Amino acid sequence: MLFRMIRGALFRQKGKMLLIAFTIALGASLATGMLNVMLDVGDKVNQELKTYGANITVKPKASSLLSDIYNVEGEGGELSTAYLREDELGKLKTIFWAFNIVDFAPFLNTQAALPAGEEVTVVGTWFNHHLDLPTGESLDAGVASLRSWWDILEGQWLDEQTDLAAREIMVGTALAQRANLHAGDTLVLTGPAAAREVTVAGIYDAGGDADDQIYASLDLVQLLSDRENKVSTIEVSALTTPDNDLARRAARNPALLSASDYETWYCTAYVSAVCYQIQEVITGSVASAVRQVAESEGAILDKTQLLMILITALSLVGSALGISNLVTASVMERAQEIGLLKAIGAHDRAITGAVIAEILITALVGGVAGYFLGFGFAQLIGRSVFGSAVEMKVMVIPIVAVLISLVTIAGSMPAIRMVLRLRPAEVLHGGH
Amino acid sequence: MSKRKMYLRMITASLLRRRSRMLIALLSIGIGATILSGLVTIYYDVPRQMSAQFRNYGANMILLPEDGVQLTRDRVEQAMAAIPGDSLVGATPYRYVRLDMVSRQQSFTTAGTDFEQVQKTSPYFHVEGRYPEGRREILVGKEVAGTIGVRVGGNMELTYKPAVMADAQDLAAQRVPGALLGGSAEGYNTALVYVSARLDDEGKIAAVEVDASLQTEEFGGRCAEPEFTNRFIGKTLPLTLGEDVDAMSGATVTSEAVVQALNTAVRTEKAVTAADRTINFTVTGILETGGEEEAYAFISLADMDAMTGEAGKLDVTELSVSATQEQLDAYVQAVADEDAGVAARLVKRVTRSETTVLGKLQALVFLVTAVVLLLTMICVSTTMMAVVSERRREIGLRKALGASDNSIRGEFLGEGMFLGLLGGVLGALLGFVFAQVVSVNVFGSSIMFQPLLLPIAVAVSMAVAAASCLLPIRRAVAIDPALVLKGE
Repeated sequence: MLFRMIRGALFRQKGKMLLIAFTIALGASLATGMLNVMLDVGDKVNQELKTYGANITVKPKASSLLSDIYNVEGEGGELSTAYLREDELGKLKTIFWAFNIVDFAPFLNTQAALPAGEEVTVVGTWFNHHLDLPTGESLDAGVASLRSWWDILEGQWLDEQTDLAAREIMVGTALAQRANLHAGDTLVLTGPAAAREVTVAGIYDAGGDADDQIYASLDLVQLLSDRENKVSTIEVSALTTPDNDLARRAARNPALLSASDYETWYCTAYVSAVCYQIQEVITGSVASAVRQVAESEGAILDKTQLLMILITALSLVGSALGISNLVTASVMERAQEIGLLKAIGAHDRAITGAVIAEILITALVGGVAGYFLGFGFAQLIGRSVFGSAVEMKVMVIPIVAVLISLVTIAGSMPAIRMVLRLRPAEVLHGGH
Repeated sequence: MSKRKMYLRMITASLLRRRSRMLIALLSIGIGATILSGLVTIYYDVPRQMSAQFRNYGANMILLPEDGVQLTRDRVEQAMAAIPGDSLVGATPYRYVRLDMVSRQQSFTTAGTDFEQVQKTSPYFHVEGRYPEGRREILVGKEVAGTIGVRVGGNMELTYKPAVMADAQDLAAQRVPGALLGGSAEGYNTALVYVSARLDDEGKIAAVEVDASLQTEEFGGRCAEPEFTNRFIGKTLPLTLGEDVDAMSGATVTSEAVVQALNTAVRTEKAVTAADRTINFTVTGILETGGEEEAYAFISLADMDAMTGEAGKLDVTELSVSATQEQLDAYVQAVADEDAGVAARLVKRVTRSETTVLGKLQALVFLVTAVVLLLTMICVSTTMMAVVSERRREIGLRKALGASDNSIRGEFLGEGMFLGLLGGVLGALLGFVFAQVVSVNVFGSSIMFQPLLLPIAVAVSMAVAAASCLLPIRRAVAIDPALVLKGE
């Protein structure tokens, strides 16, 4: 009998029930969309912040105090006594947080003479180096994406995946103007150990010191200065979690942490944990966070996430109120029907059960439709803002389900109670 | 009773009589308006607030001297007049020189700067200990601290060795009759010897003072005594030791230094002594940045001026400006227009990335706002529709009593718009409170009230309320009153 009543109510009042289902669908889609975006916004913004460049630098342990402090006049790293090994670079993608390492590039500097005799710093690095990892994956790493703020004024980025790469260079705009170099020009670079004829692949504007330098492939610089397989620094761009207290304590000395703290720290993508893991795989290295990038990223990420949480909370409250409002209105509208049921002897509990069952069925239909609609909204936002899909988070489903059922029940209960309190005769007479 | 009065009375009476239903409608419009005004306020304020967060990345503009000009504090001040004060987060002057730590035979680049400003333009600097606050205090980069082995609270004595002028013609030009000349040169153990000499009217040396306090006292220290300094009186620069003057016995190295210092001396205001060029600093903090700053030391500009004897000279000034890319470009031009001999350059890495990320964030908030608004407005109108369609019976009764369709429409629209007005005002204020809460919680600063938003929120809520009334009224009006009244 109950089912028949419910079915009757659902189908007889098709228009009204559709309206409720529609509103619930809208509310559910809002909740789903916002929750999905909120849960994913951290990763997305983190990815965007990678345009600021590397947030970790790796140097040889015995390094480069000498070259950093005394070579300001320009010996270009000659005095450094220790180097990192190029063949170990692939190991960066084998650490615990390998998935979070977005990009990296090795650097090796040397001084070389232009044909006119001017001494310039030549920076050897990877541009879009193709790397096959021991894990069977492969990736393209290098400065082409780590230096996203560079403008290529002439020519194009040096393409390392062609055979010509070791005979090409990129020249900073200030140097290019001084030495009158243009894309396509050929010149001889004379390094400390060898000389090579090279072609200018492109002229870049970096807006900094690099404008006075030449960027060339690592192989070329190793050849010019006879330092095969050697690398003086590695810049790493990693997705990291903003630092907290634990991370700060760990950064000082991980050995002082308790076992469980150590576990938590090691298994969280704190910049200090990633640094620590890099030191474990690269022989004789010291990895340190570039504070300018790491700290600001933390601040911006925190703020964005908090902002999204609050906006999500507002829209959840908004959709909850909207749904419960409509449910209340629709129950009150049925005062006559409920009065009639009461007049022919239905118990309060039976009426309540029937009305709530009706509304919950409507809510289920609306909720499911709303979930997919909301997921569509999340994708729309993800695609148009970040150019990538928003990940589907399973935990959103129970949250939305609980939210919608709570809201519909909370919205209908007071209204039902109010209607039940009315005297059937009055209601039916229509004079309340 | 006039028609208008009756109309008003009908509207208000119907609102008051049906209090609970109208409360629902009002609540739903209120929510809609709250979300509208809250989100739009946040949307407009996000770039401003986020932009302040992005200043964590440090300076986005630097002031450099134009070719052939020495950057000075006066020039920088003149150039900075082109940048509005309220968008300027910080301006940090830097003067870089190499200072020697004689006791360790080390030397490193030291920057004279203003530490209050450093904390504004480089908030990411991590100082173990504290920033220097007064004179004779020094902040040491981590790498430097490691090399020379100093800790917070330790002392380090630093000496400034001025660059020596090498051109003989330039040096000769300094030797004007009556001038006071000052110079220094490395003596025993690379420690500096300072000399000053006054020339007489014919350009000959009238008096010489030697400060050899950094030399070994019983040997080189004796070069400061009149026995030695008197040997120079009446001589003409440049001098050769052993020919023009004899060396002090047992202090040949110091004697050579005195002669070399005199030969390379330049005009000066007052005699410079070792005490002026050497300061014993207290290390107040160790600087950790993960960048090249770790290989520098930082002292106050006052100490730097005292040590170099060149007041007001700067090498570069870092500015942190809270502005969009277009505004920054305009400021660069404005600085050039000031004609102060100063050129502004943007730190591309910072400005470019800031524009990208900020653009994305703004787009994100925009889309979220749009979606939330759309859905909320639909929610509001469905509730309004439910509330109005419930009154079909009333509409039927009116019609049966002879009311024209238009007067019914007018009355219901009036009611809806009245609710819209009330809910809109309420929501706009609530929304501002919400935006304020968000701003204080997220950004730690209050938000600006957008006065324009109040009429917009009210207008939108009235429009939504009116539009959502219209559909059910039209349906009710179209129906035969008899049917409606019968309850079908």
